[in-house]
Amino acid sequence: MKKIGIIIDKYHLKYKVSDFLKYLRSKAEIVLYVEESFLLNPSKLNFDEDIFFAKAKGDLVLTFIKLVEEETSIPIINSYKGTWLAINRFLNSLYLKKAGIPIPDYTLNPKGIIPQFRDYIIKNIIDQKNYKFKPIVHKENGQLKVADERALNEVDKTDPRYNYLYYQKFIKSKWEYKIYGIGEDVYFYKQLPILINPNKIESRKKIDVIPELEEYCYKAMEVMDLKLTSLDFLKSKEQFFLTDINCTPNFNYIKNGPQIVANYLLEQAKK
Amino acid sequence: MPKMNIGILSKRKTMLAGRLKNCLENKGFSVSFYTLENLVINETLLEQDFFILKSKSLFFLYAGYFLEANKKIVIPNPQISFIQKNRIHSHFLMKKVGLLTPDIYLGTAETFKRQLDLKDFPFILKPIMGSGSKGVKVIKSFNDLKKKGILYLEKFIKGVHYNIYFIDNNICTLVKPPLANEHVDMKKIETPDDIKDLINKWINFFNGDLLFGHLDIVREESSNRLYVVDPGSFPEFTNWKCDIEPIETICNLIIDKYRKLRKNHNKY
Repeated sequence: MKKIGIIIDKYHLKYKVSDFLKYLRSKAEIVLYVEESFLLNPSKLNFDEDIFFAKAKGDLVLTFIKLVEEETSIPIINSYKGTWLAINRFLNSLYLKKAGIPIPDYTLNPKGIIPQFRDYIIKNIIDQKNYKFKPIVHKENGQLKVADERALNEVDKTDPRYNYLYYQKFIKSKWEYKIYGIGEDVYFYKQLPILINPNKIESRKKIDVIPELEEYCYKAMEVMDLKLTSLDFLKSKEQFFLTDINCTPNFNYIKNGPQIVANYLLEQAKK
Repeated sequence: MPKMNIGILSKRKTMLAGRLKNCLENKGFSVSFYTLENLVINETLLEQDFFILKSKSLFFLYAGYFLEANKKIVIPNPQISFIQKNRIHSHFLMKKVGLLTPDIYLGTAETFKRQLDLKDFPFILKPIMGSGSKGVKVIKSFNDLKKKGILYLEKFIKGVHYNIYFIDNNICTLVKPPLANEHVDMKKIETPDDIKDLINKWINFFNGDLLFGHLDIVREESSNRLYVVDPGSFPEFTNWKCDIEPIETICNLIIDKYRKLRKNHNKY
């Protein structure tokens, strides 16, 4: 029986993986490493897992991933590079654009210096914590300014505290395209953008393969070294734009998602 | 030859950054500062010919990565600066280079209280992103562990603390008070052979990309072994007490490096 190490935090353990763990327990031995209760001391650890799966992105989890990569030959999903880039919005914008994947114009400005584009959305720069997108919308003289409450908190109130804002050009789109990449397989859904319907699941529907998005998904996974991801696209004037990339996607939204991910991990486990 | 435009990415316009600017201007270059007040990370940056990454807090590093992605030369290399700034990266890097570094521990205050052994105290609490003494604190008992979230602790190494600067092949060794910053008064000593070897091993690892920097090292009292406790990619060199003039040398090293990199860029 394969042994699978799951590196996770309390939030994901409580809300996101019950079906996944139930299925995986019938197929493999599972060891849970929970960020809030695990003491990580790299010099005193010996692992005999066949694979690790990181389902969180906090500092201890990142260090754990780095440790596994540096000091063992055990495969880990996702990699340090993929996780680090996915949580650093500015860096992933840079990598994705360089790889030729269309992303909206963006800029990183000190607070008080507005971006060069008219309609924009302010997003959090470091996407490491477990809280939801809370949009604050302002319309002034036909100009649309959207801000994620988390991004403003980062600047003004809570840690991490800094003086910068990430501005992304606002893309007006009828649908938001939610693409999941799991290994070689890509799954396609669409839903109304969250600004139109905050209950994203209500309008979500499975759609046929869109070859262009499939290609972008493979490319993004390759350049960011992600084996498991979800990508958000918006579409304006027949052009798709990748607006977000995630290294710990909620696979419960895919039909049989927990089983698909569990089977993929079992396939990837050290022979 | 057209006048070259150099951008300096720096928190401050004074101290070493200011002196570096003067040095470059005296050599005929046009120099602009980008600080946290005016640094906008987008295409507007690309009008400069090359950049000096003096500060390595997150936004300057982001600017460095952005510039590199747009084929601009940045000195020192942003990735080398980042791995020295991020203590997780630098811990694993030291091991890769073959240098001793203290054991590290990550967890919440509660986890430490439940699982750390009392006999292992003291520890040093450090921020994950940081260098030098900022945010660093000695943890003598569980009562000192009050911060929320994931904490990073290092085993405290009892012994003599050194601040070791290097600029090109010049090494300047100073004895410093434990956990003190770069600017306190330090006593210069002759560089012992094992420290020379350690610094050379560190510099050689980077294949010519590490022009200068410093390492904080502790010689463990009980074993006489050297532990690297912090690297730094661009110190202020406040305590440089050795032969060469640091600013002029750094200024020349940066220009030479730029010219070499430019030549390689043009080849392809």
